[in-house]
Amino acid sequence: MATAEPYLPPSVGTLRTRVVFKVRRRRRSSAAIGDRVAIGLLVAITMMAFATPLLAPYKPNLIAGDAFARPSMHFLLGTDEVGRDILSRVLFGLRTSWFASLEVIASGVTIGGGIGLVAGTAGGWIDDVLMRITDIFLALPGPILAIAVVAALGPSLQHTLIAVAIVWWPFYSRIVRGEVKALAARPHVEAARLAGAGRVRLALRHLLPGAIPATVVTASLDVGNLVLTLAILSFLGLGAPSPAPELGAMVARGLNYLLQEWWVPIMPGLAVMFLAFVANLAGDGIRDLLGMA
Amino acid sequence: MAPIENHRAGKTPRTTAASPVEDNTTKGAERELPVTGLGEETTPEPVAELDGLFVTFRRGGQAVPALRGVDLQIARREILGLVGESGSGKSVLGLALLGLLPVDPSPAVTGRALVCGLDMVRATADERRRLRAQHLGAVFQDPMTSLNPTMRVGRQVAEAAGTESEAIRLLDAVGVPDARRRVDAYPHELSGGLRQRVMIAMAVAGEPSLVVADEPTTALDVTVQAQILELLRHLCDTTSCSFLLITHDLGVAAQVADRVAVLYGGRLAEVGRATDVLESPAHPYSVGLLKSRLTLSARRVGPLPTLPGEPPDPRALPEGCPFGPRCDHHDDACDMALPPLIAAGRHPGVAACIHLGSVATTAELPESWAPAVKSGDAAPMAVRLLGIEKDFVIRHAWRTKDRLHALRGIDLTVAQGESLALVGESGCGKSTLLRVVAGLLEPTGGTVELGHGARPQMVFQDAGASLTPWLKVGELVGDRLRAEGLGRADRAAKVREALALVGLPAEVADAKAAQLSGGQRQRVALARATIVPPEVLLCDEPTSALDVSLAATVLNLLGRIRRQLGMAMIFVTHDLGAARVVADRIAVMYLGRIVEIGPAEQIVTSHTHPYTKALLGAVPAVGVARSPLRGEPASPLHPPSGCPFHPRCPIALESCSSVDVPLVPLGACSVACVRASASAPRPKEVTVASVT
Repeated sequence: MATAEPYLPPSVGTLRTRVVFKVRRRRRSSAAIGDRVAIGLLVAITMMAFATPLLAPYKPNLIAGDAFARPSMHFLLGTDEVGRDILSRVLFGLRTSWFASLEVIASGVTIGGGIGLVAGTAGGWIDDVLMRITDIFLALPGPILAIAVVAALGPSLQHTLIAVAIVWWPFYSRIVRGEVKALAARPHVEAARLAGAGRVRLALRHLLPGAIPATVVTASLDVGNLVLTLAILSFLGLGAPSPAPELGAMVARGLNYLLQEWWVPIMPGLAVMFLAFVANLAGDGIRDLLGMA
Repeated sequence: MAPIENHRAGKTPRTTAASPVEDNTTKGAERELPVTGLGEETTPEPVAELDGLFVTFRRGGQAVPALRGVDLQIARREILGLVGESGSGKSVLGLALLGLLPVDPSPAVTGRALVCGLDMVRATADERRRLRAQHLGAVFQDPMTSLNPTMRVGRQVAEAAGTESEAIRLLDAVGVPDARRRVDAYPHELSGGLRQRVMIAMAVAGEPSLVVADEPTTALDVTVQAQILELLRHLCDTTSCSFLLITHDLGVAAQVADRVAVLYGGRLAEVGRATDVLESPAHPYSVGLLKSRLTLSARRVGPLPTLPGEPPDPRALPEGCPFGPRCDHHDDACDMALPPLIAAGRHPGVAACIHLGSVATTAELPESWAPAVKSGDAAPMAVRLLGIEKDFVIRHAWRTKDRLHALRGIDLTVAQGESLALVGESGCGKSTLLRVVAGLLEPTGGTVELGHGARPQMVFQDAGASLTPWLKVGELVGDRLRAEGLGRADRAAKVREALALVGLPAEVADAKAAQLSGGQRQRVALARATIVPPEVLLCDEPTSALDVSLAATVLNLLGRIRRQLGMAMIFVTHDLGAARVVADRIAVMYLGRIVEIGPAEQIVTSHTHPYTKALLGAVPAVGVARSPLRGEPASPLHPPSGCPFHPRCPIALESCSSVDVPLVPLGACSVACVRASASAPRPKEVTVASVT
């Protein structure tokens, strides 16, 4: 290996100008193709969610035809009990679910990550206090808290999300703290401390980046979970009030028609399943690509 | 390339035809180690034979050759020392003989690796397993990972030996004290040296024909290393086993091997009798390795002779002689083809070099260092330690605690520009002391006074781990400049300067640690420590993780930079050879105390303390018989009363176990030993009523 060694004999002087670095190779197996497809699907869903107003054939609350029209070329997934296009409502519902999940995850990662980073870096009593607070929040029953919040503030998607976010961040706080604690014991942190890095710099540059892969993997595997949780809450009536196109609520309202007009509850239900499935696949894919299997 | 069946090294119980019941009654007697005459001629037919062995791995679609045509024979009842640096293919060679080459993905293999007549390359998995069970044993570097942590060691040895009584006999034979009791211990309850003895007991169970020992002593302390090497030699002499001793250290091979094979870039560079290769090496690589070895007689007044460059990257091996790019005798002819092994000329062995006749054996020595910076009483102090104590509290379940006494009353002064080496075995507190000076640990008692310069900086043992993996080298090296309030451009210029000082090009600033080689990482760590020159540079075994040929280069670099920047240096090492070369003064530590301190040359040549003597005696050297120190250091949880060394001391008196021994001046040195003043200047171990 040629390195710019000042002690090289003249015979290899020509190599001095060239620095050859070892290239670390990422493991690539055939499974990686499946991972890529899953992540591609996830990206496609995200883009679809942004473009929903353009893609949906009708406005979600528009009465576009007869009630209970069967799936046809005109209404691909049929119409519901008042004649709204189910495809359009499902697309808007997917958009709502998807963005809501990402919002909760983002808030969880931010709040939890911040608390975990502080706890893990500071240690001592700060760590103890923050972790006990985290434990208290972990002990809150999510759905009941959501019901309480909605009862107090009135039914709306935002209120549901606030309730879910309150019970969701402690996971991330624990993960980030654990990672940071493990990293803090590594020699590079001691070396950085010796090199005079301050607390903030130590936390943000020498510790936090190391906790990111584990957090990203956890978050990506968590999205599917969250999609289902939000759908359940919506199914229980803890989402946006009635005409809003929400997948869980659509299933709940359509249940009466399950036997005759099956497409009314089944189509939004399948949409939830599809979204959760893709999210889980992509989560696995991201984990594999980050080499954290 | 972790061996697949690593915790049992491919062993299955050696109960062949005999029923287990019979085993219990007869095996113990049968397996008495035969005491065969040493003068007996070795059988001409070799135990193992490599015949044109090529092993090529594929990584990321790229061919990575590990072995490129190796022919080698291991005779009956000999120790063959296989010497090579990391990436030379030595471990792959051992695995090929064991039939344990990785399976998924498996490398492309041509040629043969015969063991007792069976080709371990072509044989079926079943045949290989049977042969391993009967004829092969293996010892790996880290006995902790090679032993099953959930099983008592007695059962593990019995698995290889067949019966419990045979296991006890074997453990006895490999020098496990109180074997009858130790069979009930779990691996974590044993010290490193004992674990390695257990591994060896498993390897030699049933008297295999060949034992492959891959770096069996690398993870051990010098004194324990000497014991293990002595044990291997003893086993080879008293049983019918042959040993393949794989090591990166020529000195280790020299100490016990009958023959030595030097491997470089997947090819044999030189093969010959150990004494021949070490006394009159023929291949330029062997010559270079021997020259850059840190011995107790290496030159101290100037830089050490070094092997330039770094070991070759197996992905980009030169077409001709693999050593060409680092060789002083390199010319165009060397690049034409791979040099074959030919008669070495200087000795009856063989060497692969086309310029054998003209290889110089004596190095032209590099120029001397500039005259030493003032040291001694006149120079102002850089660090002064007074009565440093450091305890670690170890908490157990149920709120019980133990105090680990890492440092027990250390007084030490280092003058500006002076270099001090702290020497001792693991657990003696030398690294703790370094961390206390660095300010990374608060001492439990005593004071640390520092001079007025920049705060101490440290170069860590594992330079790679001390560099934050996701940050670029430029940012890491420039970290310490932030406090100075320099602009971005100024910082970058300073970083370039610091990198240039340690011999790295400016481009390295944009690389991350993982993209650099081991030697480059150590240089980056040094650049980071010296970008704002500290008053004291602390070095924690900076060369122990490096290849032999690079260690001398790094020591030279440290010596040059320390003198150039006028820094004092505290250098922690377990290697007295390295200590003698880098340090003006040496302090020998044992169980949290300094037992002897004095000018480096004096410590090496006219030491007084029996522990210093033992440490020096354990340094592997060419053709010197060793009498290694018995036992291992006591636990710092319960340090012995009186002189901490008395339980291992060959010249201990009755009073040593009760009377505390202070460090008292004796000539140029200070020694903590009651026998020192009595039998000064140098006690002989003629006597003594020992206290056991």
